[in-house]
Amino acid sequence: MSMRGLTVFIADLRKCRIHELEEKRINKEMANIRAQFKRYQKKKYVCKLLYMYILGWDIDFGHAEAVSLISSDKFSEKQMGYLAITLLLTENSELIRLVINSLRKDLDSQNELFNCLALHAIANTGGREMAETLAREVQKLLISPMSKGFVKKKAALCLLRLFRKHSDVLPAVEWAERILPIMDDPDVGVVTSAASLITALAQQYPQQYAMCVPKAIRKLQWLVMESNFPSDYIYYKVPAPWLQVKLLRLLQYYPIPDDEALRQRILDILHCIIQNSREIPRNVQHANALHAILFETINLVIHFGCEPDLLAQAAALLGRFIASKETNVRYLGLETMAHLAGALDNPEPIRRHQELILASLRDRDVSVRRRGLDLLYSMCDVSNSRAIVRELLRYLPMADFALREEMVLKIAILTEKFATEYQWYVDTIIKLLSTAGDQVGEEIWHRLIQIVLGNEGLQEYAARVVLSGLRAPHCPENALKVGAYVLGEFGHLIANEPGCSPMDQFKSLHARFSTAPLATKVMLLTTYLKFVNLFPEIKEPCLRVFERYRYALDVELQQRACEYYHIVNRDTDELLQTVCEEMPPYPARESSLVSRLQRQYLDTEDKRTWVVGGKEANLELKSQDAHSAQAHALAAGTAITNATLAAAAQASAPGPARTAEVNLLNLDEDLSHLNPGEGGSVTGPDGAPEPVRGAGHVKLLTAGQGVLYEDDTIQLGVKSEYHGYQGRLVIYTGNQTGDVLTSFAITVHGVPHVKATTVQAAPTLIQPFAQAPYLVNLECHGAFDVPPHIHVTFGKGGTSGSTAAPVSLHIQLPVSIAKFIEPFSMAATDFFQRWRQLSVNKRESQAVFSAREPFQPEPVRALLRSTGLALLTDADPNPNNFVGVGILVTTSEKVGCLLRLEPSKEHQMYRITVRTTNENFSEILRHHVEDMVNQIEG
Amino acid sequence: MIKSVLIFNTQGKPRLTKFYQQIDVEVEQAILKEIHSLVARRPAQACNFLEGSKLLGGADTRIIYRNYATLYFVFVVDSSESELGILDLIQVFVETLDRCFENVCELDLIFHFEEVNYILSEIITGGMVLETNINEIIQAIRDSNRLMKANSANGGADDRSRWV
Repeated sequence: MSMRGLTVFIADLRKCRIHELEEKRINKEMANIRAQFKRYQKKKYVCKLLYMYILGWDIDFGHAEAVSLISSDKFSEKQMGYLAITLLLTENSELIRLVINSLRKDLDSQNELFNCLALHAIANTGGREMAETLAREVQKLLISPMSKGFVKKKAALCLLRLFRKHSDVLPAVEWAERILPIMDDPDVGVVTSAASLITALAQQYPQQYAMCVPKAIRKLQWLVMESNFPSDYIYYKVPAPWLQVKLLRLLQYYPIPDDEALRQRILDILHCIIQNSREIPRNVQHANALHAILFETINLVIHFGCEPDLLAQAAALLGRFIASKETNVRYLGLETMAHLAGALDNPEPIRRHQELILASLRDRDVSVRRRGLDLLYSMCDVSNSRAIVRELLRYLPMADFALREEMVLKIAILTEKFATEYQWYVDTIIKLLSTAGDQVGEEIWHRLIQIVLGNEGLQEYAARVVLSGLRAPHCPENALKVGAYVLGEFGHLIANEPGCSPMDQFKSLHARFSTAPLATKVMLLTTYLKFVNLFPEIKEPCLRVFERYRYALDVELQQRACEYYHIVNRDTDELLQTVCEEMPPYPARESSLVSRLQRQYLDTEDKRTWVVGGKEANLELKSQDAHSAQAHALAAGTAITNATLAAAAQASAPGPARTAEVNLLNLDEDLSHLNPGEGGSVTGPDGAPEPVRGAGHVKLLTAGQGVLYEDDTIQLGVKSEYHGYQGRLVIYTGNQTGDVLTSFAITVHGVPHVKATTVQAAPTLIQPFAQAPYLVNLECHGAFDVPPHIHVTFGKGGTSGSTAAPVSLHIQLPVSIAKFIEPFSMAATDFFQRWRQLSVNKRESQAVFSAREPFQPEPVRALLRSTGLALLTDADPNPNNFVGVGILVTTSEKVGCLLRLEPSKEHQMYRITVRTTNENFSEILRHHVEDMVNQIEG
Repeated sequence: MIKSVLIFNTQGKPRLTKFYQQIDVEVEQAILKEIHSLVARRPAQACNFLEGSKLLGGADTRIIYRNYATLYFVFVVDSSESELGILDLIQVFVETLDRCFENVCELDLIFHFEEVNYILSEIITGGMVLETNINEIIQAIRDSNRLMKANSANGGADDRSRWV
C-alpha cells in the first residue's frame, strides 16, 4: 500500500507558515478522512491522524478504526493499530475493552513479534481490567523456557507496569520463586528488565524477594571484575552501565548482607568500581557512563553506611565532584552529598567543603543552585546553622523567583530547629519577613506568633524588634501583620521605653494603615481595640479610627469598626477587658512548616531511598518504610492456614517460651503429612516463610553428622564440628532426581548472637544424582534460642522442558546453644560450693516436667554427655540425680554452666535446674536440655 | 520511571510526543510548551538536568535533555532513574536513529514519525528501559520490517524497506 498521500499531507502542513493555515489544512484532511475512512486504506488514515496528534491536535474520531486494525492479519496494519492505541487511548477509554480479546489472541500467538506488540500495548495502557484478565498470560511468557529473550524482557516490563498500577490483583508473592531465577539469565537485556521488575517487587515484599541480593551481587561481580563480557553490551568501553546502575540501586532497598562472604564480595566490588574510576576519560559518553555507575556506587556505600574506609573514599570523591568544571558532575555531586549528609554521624567530611557549597548558591546554573540549597538544608546543624542561615538570607533577594518560596520555608525551618537562643530566632524570622516580602507563606508568621506567645521571656524582645521593623522604610504586609499582633498583645511591655510610648506604637502602625490590604486593616483595627484596653491614654485616636470606618464600604471592615466602637463606648470596661484578655499560649505542636515541605510520592514510582533534609528526615523515612512493609507483609499473609494462625497466636502469647517450642514440634509432625515435593516452607505470621526443622534436626542436635532433610528431590546431609565459640557445618546437598537442578542457591541467615558466614557457596547447577557441599562458619556471640537457618532455592528439570514450580526451602540448622559448651571437670566436692555461689541474682532457672517415657538412666546420661557437659558421678548425694559442668564459650566471654537433673521414678517426673554465671543463658540452656530429655525415646 | 519522551525543535515544534502516564491532549501540549520554554533558554554550558515539570507530577520530577543541532531530546523522569543513565539512553536513542536513517536529520523524524515511534518502543516500554544495546534494537526493528515485507509481498512494495 502506498503511503504517498501521507507524505503529501505532511509536506502540505510544513508549508503552512501560520497557525490558521495549518488549522484549515487539518480540518480539510479530517473531513476527507471521515468521508473515506470506512472504505479503504484505514492504515494510511490512522497514520495521518497520528501525525496530527503529534502536532498537538485533539483527535476525537478514528479510535474504533485503529482498534479494528489490531485484529488485522497484516503485520504492518496490526503494528499501526497498536501504535495508535498506545498514543490515542487512555486506560479508562471504553474502547480498551474491545482490545482485550485481540491482546489475548496476540499473546497466545505463535508469532513472537505479535506477542511483543501486545506486550508493548499492555505495558503502555494497562488498566485494571487488563491486569485482571491478562496478567497470567504475560507471566507465562516471562517464565516459559520456550520464550525468546526479546519476548521475556518485554513481558518483564509489562508485568512491572501491571504490578505498579494494580498490585492487588497480581499474586506477586507466589511468583517470587519463578521470577527470581530470571536474574540468572545469560541475556543481559533480559536481566536488565528483570532487575527493574524485581526492584519494584522487592520494595513491597522485601523478605519474599530477598534472594535477589546474592543474585544481584553475583551479576555485578561479573560485570565489574570479570572480562568475559558480550561485546555488544559494552557502551563506550563500559560493560552494560545501565544494568550496573540498576543492580546497585536494587541493593539500596536492602541492608548490607549479614552473610560474611557475600558482604565481603559486595564491598570488594564497590572498592573495585571506585578504583577503576581514578581517571575519568575525555570522551563525554565514556565519562558519563563511568560517572553514572560511580554515583550509584557512592549512594550504595552511603546506604550501607558501615564501612568507614569506603565512606571516606566516597566523601573524598564527592568533594572533588562539587568542585568539578563539568556542570553535570557538580550538580550530581551536590545532590549525592545531601544524601551523605543524611547518613553521617560525624559531619566533618562535609563541613570541610562548606565554603564551596555556600558558593554554589551563586552558580551560573539554576539547577545547581537548587541542589546547593538542598545540601545546605541537609547539612545544617547547631554548630553551623548561623553561618548557613546568614548566607541564605543574604542570597535570598537575588535568588530566582521560582526558588525563593522554597528558600524562605527552609530558612524558617532551620532557624526554628537549630535556634539556641530565642532572640536569634526572632531576629532571623523578622528579617526574613522583611527581605522576602510576599514570598513568605502565612505559615511562617503564624509560627512566629505561636512561638512568641509560648515563651514569656521572648515577648518583650519581640515587641521591640517588630516596632523597629515597622519604622523601616519598607515594611511588607507579613511584617506589618506580625507587628500588629505582637504590639497588640505585648506592646505594654515596652511602653515605658523611650520612643516606644503607646502613642509611638500607634503611630508606627497607623502610618501603614491606609496602604495596607483589607485583611491587614481588619487586624489593625483589632490591635487598636487591644490598645484601648491597655493604654486608656490613646483611646481618643483609636476611637476616631473606629468611627471613621463605621462607614467603610467593605462589610467586614465596617462591622468590626462598628462593634469595636460600641465596645469602647460602653459605660463600663467589663466587656472590653473580657474581649481583650491576653491570648493563652498555643498548645505545643509540630511545626506546620515541615509538613508542608514533605513531599508525597506517587504510587507508580519507586520509593526514594533517601530524602533531602539531613539525618532526622532520613530516619523518619526509614520508619515509614518499615511500617508499610509490615502492612504489606500482613496483607500478603491473609492466606495463612489455621495451623499457622494458631502458631502465631501462641508465639505472640506472653507465656513462657515453652509453648512455642512445643508448637514447633507439632509443626514438625504436620510436615510429615505434606507432600514432600511441595517444599518445607510454612508461611509465618508475618507472611514470610518461616524456617522449619528438618526430620533429622533433633538427632543432629546431639550427633555430629546425619541427614537433616530429605524429600523426593533433594537430600541435605550435615556434618558439624565445634571448637570454642566457632562452629563449622558442611551441608551436603544431594540431587535425588534424574534431572539437573538449576539456579541452585543456598544462603544462610544468622540470628541475633549467632553470626553465620558462607565459606564455600553451593554450585548453581547440580547434576542428576550428584552431591555438592556447602560450607558455613558459625560464631556464637551470646545467648540464642532460635537457630540460624538456610534458604535453599532451585528449579527442577532442564531435560523435560516442563515449567515445574521452583522450590524454596527454609530449614533450621541443627544448632543449639549447647553446641558451644565444652566439658569442664571439677572435683565432686567443689560442685556444690560453686552451685551455692550461683544461687543469687536470677542466675538459676528451674522447671518441673513430666517425662514421656519411664526413666532409664543410660539414655539420659548419654544425652547429657552429648550436650557437652562433663557429668560428675559422685557429687550428688542422691545417686539417681545427674549433675554436669561445662563452659559455654562466646566471642566475648566464657560462661560457667552447672546443671542438675533430678528424676523421680514413681511420678515419672523430672526437676531440672540450671545455674550459669550469666543470667541470660540459664533459661535458654534449661529449655534446651528439657526439650532434649523429652525427645528421648524408650 | 520515565514519564515522557519528547523531541521538539528549537522553535518548540513537536516531532515526537510520548507520554507513559495518562494525560489529556491539552495538558500534554501545555507540558510541551512549558518544557520548551525552560530548556530553550538554557546556555550550552549549563547542566542537562532541570527540576520539573510541575504539570507532570511532584517536585521529584526531573527533566533531562540533550540538544543535537536543531533538535531537543527530552526525557521526563522520576527520582528512581539515574540522571547520567538517562543521558546515556538519549545517546543510544540518537545513535540508533542515526544508524536506521543514515545521518538522521529533522526531516527524517517528520516524514517517518511512525518509525521513530517503533524504534522508541524497542528502547522503552511502559516507561521502563527495555534495551540499551544498539545492535539488539536494530535487530528487533529489522525483524519486524522483514515480517512486514513478507506480509505485503502481494500488496505492493512498502516504502519502509529503504533502510532494512
